[in-house]
Amino acid sequence: MERILFLQILAGAAFVFSLLAFAGRLRAFNRLARPADRAVPKGSPRAGLIYAYTLGMAPWAKESTRLHTIAYLRGVAFHLGIFLGLGILLASPWLGQLPPAWRSLLAIGAGLGALLGLAGFAARLLERNLKALSTPDDYAAVLAVSLFLAGASLWLFVPAALPFFYLASAAMLVYAPFSKIRHCIYYAYSRMFFGKFVGIRAVLPHSQQGLR
Amino acid sequence: MNSEKVDTALAILEKQLNQPLAAALEVCARCGICAEACHYYVAEPTPEHIPAARAEELRKVYRAEHDFLSRIFPAWTGAERLTEEKLAQFAQIAFDKCTLCYRCTANCPMGVDTPLLMSTLRAMATATGNAPEILEMLADAAIEKGRDPEIYLEFFKDSILDMEQELQALTGDPEARIPLQKKGAKMLYVALAGAHTILPAAAIFETAGEDWTLSIYEAANYGIFLGDASRAKEIARRIVDEARELGVEEIVISECGHAYYAMRWLAPNWFGEEFTFRVRSIVEVLADYIQQGKLQLDPSANPEPITYHDSCNLGRKGGVLAEPRIILNAATTQFMEMTPNREEAYCCGGGAGLVALPEAAELRMLGGKPKADQVRASGARVVAAACENCRLQLGDLSCHYGLGVGVVALADLVVRAMRLPGAKESIEERMTAEAVAAKGN
Repeated sequence: MERILFLQILAGAAFVFSLLAFAGRLRAFNRLARPADRAVPKGSPRAGLIYAYTLGMAPWAKESTRLHTIAYLRGVAFHLGIFLGLGILLASPWLGQLPPAWRSLLAIGAGLGALLGLAGFAARLLERNLKALSTPDDYAAVLAVSLFLAGASLWLFVPAALPFFYLASAAMLVYAPFSKIRHCIYYAYSRMFFGKFVGIRAVLPHSQQGLR
Repeated sequence: MNSEKVDTALAILEKQLNQPLAAALEVCARCGICAEACHYYVAEPTPEHIPAARAEELRKVYRAEHDFLSRIFPAWTGAERLTEEKLAQFAQIAFDKCTLCYRCTANCPMGVDTPLLMSTLRAMATATGNAPEILEMLADAAIEKGRDPEIYLEFFKDSILDMEQELQALTGDPEARIPLQKKGAKMLYVALAGAHTILPAAAIFETAGEDWTLSIYEAANYGIFLGDASRAKEIARRIVDEARELGVEEIVISECGHAYYAMRWLAPNWFGEEFTFRVRSIVEVLADYIQQGKLQLDPSANPEPITYHDSCNLGRKGGVLAEPRIILNAATTQFMEMTPNREEAYCCGGGAGLVALPEAAELRMLGGKPKADQVRASGARVVAAACENCRLQLGDLSCHYGLGVGVVALADLVVRAMRLPGAKESIEERMTAEAVAAKGN
C-alpha cells in the first residue's frame, strides 16, 4: 500500500512538473511578438479560424489527409487516446469504484490508443519517409506515450499493474516538456495562425463553400 | 567560437523569432503527411523533397540554440550547430528547392508554416552573402530607381508616347492616352517592365472609362524573394509614396503574383498601418468590369480549349480565386479546369524568384513536372495565367515537356474578346510567338 502511495505521489509530482514546465514554455512563447495583420481583410478571419479548428481538420478537407486517410485517422485516434489516458491517470485513485463494464470500456479505449501508438512507432521504423524524418526523440516520444497508454489499459484490466502505470505515467510526463511531445502546446497557435491567414484572404473556407 | 557570418545568421533568426515562427519551429510532429503536397516531391519522391525535411534543417539549428535537451544530447533530437557550410546549404534549400507556395501548409494537419521557415532561411542566407546575386541586383536596382526616378523618367515618358500610338491603333481611338503622374486619378496602375502589361490594361481601362494613371515604377518586388523585409519595404515605398502624392483611391497591380501578394498582404505590415487607398489585382478589376457590364466581350474570339493556372501568390496566398473564373467564363468559349485547382493547385515551379535563377533551371523543370502533367491531362491548347513568372515558367514547361500549349495573360484574352478594331493578331499567332519566346529563354 505504501508503495502504491509513493508511486501515486511520484506520478502526481510528475504531472505537476509537466504542467509547470509547459506553463513556462507557454510563458516564453507568449513573450514573443505576435505581428498584427494590417491588410484590409478580403474574407472573414473568424470564418478562417473556425474552419481551422473544425472542418479544416476533417479527413476530406485536405489532399494530404485524403491520400493518407488511415494514417491520419490513426494519428487522430492516438491523440484522443492520450487525452483519455490523462483522464484515467487523474481519476485513478477513484476508478476502482467504477463498474467493471465501464472499466473495461476505458481499458479498451486506452489499449487501442497504445496499439495505434505502437503502430506509429513501427511505421517510423519501416516507412522510408518517416524513417528519414525521425530523430531518436521521435521514437522515444511515441514509445513513452504508448507505454503510458498501455499501462492505463493494463491496470484497468489487471489491478496489479498499477505500479507500472504510475511509473510509465511519471516517465512520460517528465519527458514530455523536453521532447517532441511538447508540440501539443503549439498546436492551437499554429492552427490559429493558419486559420487567420486563409480567412483574412478569403481562401478558406470561402473557396470550398462557394462563398466567393 | 562562431564565425562572423554564423553570428549574423543567428542574429537574424533571433530577430525574426516571433510567435508564428516559433510555432512553425516547434509544432511539426514529423509525420511526413506533407510530402505529396510539394511539387518537388511529386516530381521526384525522395525524402529530401518532403517539406518537413527541408524545414528540419532550420529546426536543427533552432534546437541547438533554444532547446535544453538538444544542448545536452544534440544527437538525440537531431540538433546541429550552425556553420558556414550549413549556411550555404540553407541558401540552396530555401532559394532553389522551395517556391514558398504554401501548399504544404494548407495540407498540414498542424498548419505548419513551412514557407515562413524558408523565408527565414532566405533572410539568413541573404544577410550572410549567400543569396543568389541576381536577386540582390534586381532588388537593389529597384531601390536605386526609387531614389532618383528623374534619371530614367524622360526615357520612360518617350516609351509611353510610342506605346500610346500602339494603343490608338489597337483601340481605333486617336484620343486614347496612357496617363502618367496624373494627380487626383482614381486608380494607379502598376505594371511590369515592357509594353505587354501596359497596352492591354490601357485598352481595357480606356474602354471601361476608368480614371487611371500609370505608375512610373514597376510592380516587381525582389525584396520578398530575398526574405529581406527592409529591402522589400523600400521597393514598395516607391509605389506607396507615388500613390500618396497623386492622391489615388486605389493601387492596381498588374498580372503578377508576388507583386500583388507583397503590396496587398505584406506591405501594410511593413509600414505598420492600414493604407488609405485600396490595393487590388487587375484580375479583380477585370472581373468587376465584367460583372458591372462595363466591357462587352465576345467569347468566340477565344475559341480554343483553355485552362487556368492558379498562381500561388494570387490564389492560395492571395484569395484571388473566383475572379479569374469570372473572366475566363466571359471571355472564352471552352474554359476547363485543371485538377486540382484553386487553393489546391500545384505550383508551376517557377515562383519565389526561381524563374530568375539560371543556375536553378534544371530544378525548375523538375519542380514543374506536376504542373506540366496537369496541363497535358486537361487537354487544353492554351493556358492562361495571371502571373508573369508563372507564364514564363509555363512557356518553358511547354517546350521542355513538349506540351505544345500557348500561354496567355487574362488581360490579353479580355482584349481579344473586346474585338477592338486594331486587334488583328490571332490567338494562334500569339501562342506561336509566346512559345518561340519561351524557347528563347
